[in-house]
Amino acid sequence: MGKMILIGENMNIMTKKYGKAMRERDAKTIQELAIKEKELGMDYIDLNIGPAGRIGEELMEWIVKTVQEVVDLPCALDTSNIAAIEAGLKVHKGRALINSISARPDRMEALLPIAKKYDADFVGLLWGPEGMPRDENERGALAAELMFRASELGIPNERMWIDPIVTPVNVQQNQVIACYEFMKMFQDIAPGCKSTCGLSNVSNGAPEHLRPILNQTYLIMLKNNGMMSAIVDCFDEDLKKIAWGERPDIEELVMKVCNDEDIDPSSLNEEELKYYKTARVLLGKTLYSDSWLEL
Amino acid sequence: MSYQPTKTKYSGSIKEVRIGEGDKAVTVGGKTCYSFYLFEGEMPNPPRVAGEVWDMDPGEEWSPADREPFKDVLGDSAAWAKKWIDEYGAELIAIQCKSSDPNGADRPADEVADVVKKVADAIDVPLIVWGTANHDKDVEVLRKVAELCDGKRVMLGPVEEGDYKQIGAAALGYKHVVGASSPIDVNLAKQLNILLENLGVQLENIIMDPTVGGLGYGMEYAYSVIERMNMAALVQEDDKLQLPVFCNLAHEVWKTKEAKISEEEAPNLGNQEKRGILMEAVTAVDYLLAGADIVVIRHPTTASLIKKFIEDMLSKS
Repeated sequence: MGKMILIGENMNIMTKKYGKAMRERDAKTIQELAIKEKELGMDYIDLNIGPAGRIGEELMEWIVKTVQEVVDLPCALDTSNIAAIEAGLKVHKGRALINSISARPDRMEALLPIAKKYDADFVGLLWGPEGMPRDENERGALAAELMFRASELGIPNERMWIDPIVTPVNVQQNQVIACYEFMKMFQDIAPGCKSTCGLSNVSNGAPEHLRPILNQTYLIMLKNNGMMSAIVDCFDEDLKKIAWGERPDIEELVMKVCNDEDIDPSSLNEEELKYYKTARVLLGKTLYSDSWLEL
Repeated sequence: MSYQPTKTKYSGSIKEVRIGEGDKAVTVGGKTCYSFYLFEGEMPNPPRVAGEVWDMDPGEEWSPADREPFKDVLGDSAAWAKKWIDEYGAELIAIQCKSSDPNGADRPADEVADVVKKVADAIDVPLIVWGTANHDKDVEVLRKVAELCDGKRVMLGPVEEGDYKQIGAAALGYKHVVGASSPIDVNLAKQLNILLENLGVQLENIIMDPTVGGLGYGMEYAYSVIERMNMAALVQEDDKLQLPVFCNLAHEVWKTKEAKISEEEAPNLGNQEKRGILMEAVTAVDYLLAGADIVVIRHPTTASLIKKFIEDMLSKS
């Protein structure tokens, strides 16, 4: 099983430490994290500077330069601020990843030409003019719309990383299933496209100590249906093991649950049982509750 | 080959839960199909109407239309409950402990519990006792009620995630029924049942309150939550949700502007009494179709309409 491309999510203005470092242009703190992310195996460093208003251009330019001064990794430019994205692309070495371009006409019109101009990759976020897609088919339609608009500008599918939008399992289980079902048809709908996801959103709102098992199990489900990448916490060692194919035993078990194969829960050890129960919740076979592992 | 309609395959059933003791005790639940789908399964216990009583005179909060049937007894909760039973044939009484509300009259828990006790002693049908969803006050009031109503197997609620330990323990100790209340969310409803079970409350002693809205005020959200509870229980074998459903809807309907406004102020909305009754009836019918087992009703005319509806839906002809 292949290795996924990992995008480190830790450089985020919403966090206390790095928010402060960004505001104070504290290069040392930013660079330490960048080096750490590389050491921990990240393939991209996400630079989430928030909407950033009128200082966005200067901040993005500064942070891209600061990070790339010490690591030779590409960055994901994570902001809704169009001018800031362009400012980052101007100084970025190598091929950057724009995070993100949603399937809304105004965003596509503004950002696709920029992606083309700088030959950048971009996350194609399946968020449409009417907001969140309701099921896998609406995701498919939004993906097609993004591909169509990109190809009109001569941007090949290879530049686009589709993000099918991961949602919390405790809000709408059917959306978790829809995102998974979309991945099953993704390769046929969008040949050549890459894919990525904000994985940890699946466990948003669940008890903190139970979030890892949800994230890991869902990663297995998505990965085995062609998900190529995920935005992750660079310190999450268990998750990385799965992303890098170092837990084939667990992957096999989860996929058996996904494929409706007969499994006798009493034959499973404690760890396996957790993945088994979690997969059943993520597949909607069991209704979610915070105590799902205890049932 | 003749036409065969598709039938749902049910793998679970709803547990039977009894409220009250003796001949007039009421058992709800037990169905093996979606509500009224008698062509697919059984509904051994009909859904029930609970007559609403307050522990205080509602005063100006109620419009003339909802005051009228009980205007002679609104200050006396026990007489009010008796009137429901003797004149309007109520088989269940739901007393709302409105006077305990810390943001309202804030009557001390002991006094509120005494009123409840008087009602419980005056009637021979089962009693549902409902607080104001203020955790601290509900704990005080419902603990006291649990003690005073020992042996009567009343239903106590709302029992929420924030106070289930205290009220759940009192219900457990005095063998009452728990009205497990969650905020319009099937996952949270399930979680609360699990927590109550962990506390020692058996599922046979729990009735679920999904928190409902009145017609035009988010009714469809609660409707779909009840549907999902029943789907999980009946076709997904989710044993934590195989419980009857309680809908405290009367207050939600009658507090709305559309129910309260007089005909003089809004002539295009028509007769106020008829309007309020129909809004209450439509809300109750909707929840019954979604899967409710107990509906709390304020107006006796609504109550008789709903009883007739249930009877018609359950008749074999």
